[in-house]
Amino acid sequence: MFNFFKKAKDKGILAPQNGKAIPLKEVPDEVFSQKMLGDGIAIIPEDGKVVSPVDGTIAQITDTLHAYGIKSDDGLDILIHCGIDTVSMNGEGFDVKVKEGQKVKVGDLIANVNIKLIKERGFSLHTPLIITNFDEIKDFEPVIGDVKSGETVVIKYKK
Amino acid sequence: MIEFTYKIKDENGIHARPAGLLVGEAKKFQSNIKITNIVNEKSADAKGLFGLMGLCVKKDNEIKVSVEGEDENEAAETIKDFLEENF
Repeated sequence: MFNFFKKAKDKGILAPQNGKAIPLKEVPDEVFSQKMLGDGIAIIPEDGKVVSPVDGTIAQITDTLHAYGIKSDDGLDILIHCGIDTVSMNGEGFDVKVKEGQKVKVGDLIANVNIKLIKERGFSLHTPLIITNFDEIKDFEPVIGDVKSGETVVIKYKK
Repeated sequence: MIEFTYKIKDENGIHARPAGLLVGEAKKFQSNIKITNIVNEKSADAKGLFGLMGLCVKKDNEIKVSVEGEDENEAAETIKDFLEENF
């Protein structure tokens, strides 16, 4: 019983992509690296599949299709920002599979991103995953290393 | 309450990354800061990233900023400067 409660309190956000999780401070954009939007990690993706890192609701999809806001069922506002300065691609290369207001489960496909095209245009693939309402979090532990989408925990937290 | 309008000059409007910076500025103040996109009449709290992203503010859109609270003078001044520098 005690273990059950402990488990319920320690929560995790899973990797949205296959690739490598790195500390947010290594992202080549100071808005992210200096944690101005909140804390988290970044993924250097090895393929273009982006899945939901939590159970929740799609809160925002930017018109330019490169950033997704997900409200987790336990109240976190999570931002996935695919690539750096990719707003300039105006949606090209981003095939979004969900709609705003749609419920998602961990591992559900959010978008297919053409990472080859992003590279060709000269943009960095770094994909920050950020808890934007970070003041809600008590304990936070980023997990760095090789990750598998929908399987590997990349952020452990307590509310 | 202090209100002012601002016309967005940035090519990309208020998108995710700079919206986050605006949230950071807004959070420095006690005052309630509301942003309204005059074009689609959507409003949001300037202290919430998702709300700001949801305003769909594009280049040439006019936004209205409403600031109310004890530090409203300073807050309005700061937000105005921030908009002019970044958007």
